[in-house]
Amino acid sequence: MAGWREVAAVAAGGMIGTGLRLTLDMVIPHGDTDFPLSTLLINVVGSFALGAMVATLWRRANTPNWLKVGLGSGTVGSFTTFSALIVSLLTEAQHGEWMLAVLYLLLSLVLGFGAALLGLSLGRRPRSLEIDMVDE
Amino acid sequence: MVIAVLAAGAIGALARYGISLAFIRATNFPRAVLVVNVAGSLLGGAVLALVDRGIVDTGLHLILVTGIAGGLTTFSTWSVETLQFALSGRWRTAVANVVINLLLGLSAATAAYFVVYWFFLLHQYRP
Repeated sequence: MAGWREVAAVAAGGMIGTGLRLTLDMVIPHGDTDFPLSTLLINVVGSFALGAMVATLWRRANTPNWLKVGLGSGTVGSFTTFSALIVSLLTEAQHGEWMLAVLYLLLSLVLGFGAALLGLSLGRRPRSLEIDMVDE
Repeated sequence: MVIAVLAAGAIGALARYGISLAFIRATNFPRAVLVVNVAGSLLGGAVLALVDRGIVDTGLHLILVTGIAGGLTTFSTWSVETLQFALSGRWRTAVANVVINLLLGLSAATAAYFVVYWFFLLHQYRP
């Protein structure tokens, strides 16, 4: 269901996420042949944040839908970027920086997906601890 | 300028949200993220060619790439959805989701770059 609250939350979140990404790009700028550290940080932090929210906030029955889409689709969804990763890989290849491109892609995948896993596991940890205690 | 980039980011986010609602019933493969990521990569490649041809300046580049393409595409939903497939034992879908997004995203960006670059080169367009 997409009511006006959801639409407003996604639009506001989109501005916040884009603003945060723009800020990090300006604080940690990179040229065509430099390592795109800002985008890597953004995608790793965003993957962790979304994983953590899905594992905790999303599970609560009383979390309103507009808050979920405002934070998930809006803020974190706009903060992280796939196109910047692809465009950087393209410019690195253009300049013949193949090692840089491979390193950047591998680090994005390993750290980004690792961060998502870490975030998702936050919601599971207390439950598995409880089960361990019962087993003892 | 910053306001325009933020507004473009909101437009990208709303488009992504709309597409995610349109694909909500397709649960065997996360198509919504694939569609937005490929579309945003295509736009990114096309704008990169326009920058290289000297047609697009820094301001418009920020609005189109950082705003629209950045707001439209997402890494976090891609990574979290992939992990959710993997954690629920659907390894094939998880691996396919990673490979297909990367292959189609890179192909779309590269194809868009060359089409736009050669189009403006052949037409000798200079702003």
